[in-house]
Amino acid sequence: MTSSSSPSRKALSKIACNRLQKELAEWQVSPPSGFKYRVSDNLQRWVIEVTGAAGTLYAGETYQLQVDFPEHYPMEAPQVIFLNPAPMHPHIYSNGHICLDILYDSWSPAMTVSSVCISILSMLSSSPAKQRPQDNDRYVRNCRNGRSPKETRWWFHDDKV
Amino acid sequence: AALVELRRAAGEVAAQEFLSTPLLLANGESPVNGSDRRSGGEGGSRRVVALSPPPPVGIPWRSRATAMALHATSSRDSVRAAAEGEPEWAGDASRRPAAFYSAVFAQIEEVGWERLVSGKGDGGVSCLVFRILDDQGRNHLLEITLPMNYPSSPPCLVADVPYLPELQWSKGSRLKDVVCQFQEHLKILQDYWSIMDDIDKVLWVVDPTKPTFAMSHRRIALGDDCYLLLHVNVRKPRSLPEVRFLGTDGKLDRLITNWRKYCKKWSADKKFHENLSTVLDFALPPPPSVNIEDDEQVDCGICYAKHLPIDDELGTHSGGTTDYTCENPSCSRAFHSVCLRDWLRAITTTRQSFDVLFGNCPYCSDPVAVKITDR
Repeated sequence: MTSSSSPSRKALSKIACNRLQKELAEWQVSPPSGFKYRVSDNLQRWVIEVTGAAGTLYAGETYQLQVDFPEHYPMEAPQVIFLNPAPMHPHIYSNGHICLDILYDSWSPAMTVSSVCISILSMLSSSPAKQRPQDNDRYVRNCRNGRSPKETRWWFHDDKV
Repeated sequence: AALVELRRAAGEVAAQEFLSTPLLLANGESPVNGSDRRSGGEGGSRRVVALSPPPPVGIPWRSRATAMALHATSSRDSVRAAAEGEPEWAGDASRRPAAFYSAVFAQIEEVGWERLVSGKGDGGVSCLVFRILDDQGRNHLLEITLPMNYPSSPPCLVADVPYLPELQWSKGSRLKDVVCQFQEHLKILQDYWSIMDDIDKVLWVVDPTKPTFAMSHRRIALGDDCYLLLHVNVRKPRSLPEVRFLGTDGKLDRLITNWRKYCKKWSADKKFHENLSTVLDFALPPPPSVNIEDDEQVDCGICYAKHLPIDDELGTHSGGTTDYTCENPSCSRAFHSVCLRDWLRAITTTRQSFDVLFGNCPYCSDPVAVKITDR
């Protein structure tokens, strides 16, 4: 599946390794609500279970996020995708790619995995309907060769969902 | 009817009087609402004076003088009101009955006024904080919040402990029972805390630098950029802990293999750090010599470390501390200039003029500027 594509990753730099260890320790002490880190010794790839918030279209449903970190994190954004099956959402493609600006152009080292997760849960919670993006089929076809969502030139146009 | 009203007014005056006193005794300073006092009739004034709690033994002389002054003021106010011949009482009914306040004050007295640190909400008694000393001399603050239908419902507890005790509560229970149960809970936690203290003393703990009583995790340096992320079982602190290995793969493989192979050698009778050494088959490095300067250093807002890694590529900045601070007073975030420079180079909105990079603070977006080169 294209959703399990993995970019060619160099090993984490010392700075990235140190920061991620602190983020992980902080996560384990006070994880964000609705998220569960799938335990693994691979610091460079986190798999996180997301549970839809109560009172939303996704209440009680569980999805899995995959977070891959580049060599020079946090100077570069992590790659965040939903593993199959991806939730039906106007900004989430069926291959798991997420149209969310903080994962691409608006990334900042002030953000953390935790804050990104909260933003994604907020995006899910704001969904008006369970449907795919309009250009889902064309986009997924173009990504069939395992292309990373970070290579896409996204157009962010929706401030509500 | 007038007599009934007089009794109610006296009760409210008594409650009002008690509102002021514990704050004074606990904090040693004049309460804000001290002057906001109402006086009853002559009979009421006598009762007010009699019901005031006496200053406890050991209170500093200054506070005692203030307490005396408060009583004197109260007496004078009562006399003045009596002289005017017109008793005054609250126009609006309070949310809690007057009996609630007198009951709570009696219960605070049972616990000991000297233990009361603060009171706030609903006239100063909805949320009480007591200072509790445990067997090893550790100071604990126990916050007790009284619900509206107290004592039918149990109070809520907040404390800096890894887990709270299950409160045994009935309608006849009192604050003293809560404090006693918390003290018993602290006794149970003594073993856990002595183990955590031992870890902090013997091993090289890099995170957290200032652990709270509630924190059960430690990141322990093993050398060569390898770390052990440790979670002690707070209810069975002598049992095998949950561990995660972080760092470069080559060296970690042996440690992970040893952990899986030898974890059955873990013994509740041996010291925690001895168990770790045995199971890992590895001599754990001791903590580095205490560097007081490090406590004053701030973490970089980008790499989350006080010091940059020791690395030849970083040149003179190798191992360096934060050397740039955002000029926004509301932000004042600290950075390594190396990290800030790398970040500014990574984004497209950075502007360059001669050898200086201009951009925005990652946290507050105010302007920042950093030189390209070290010279």
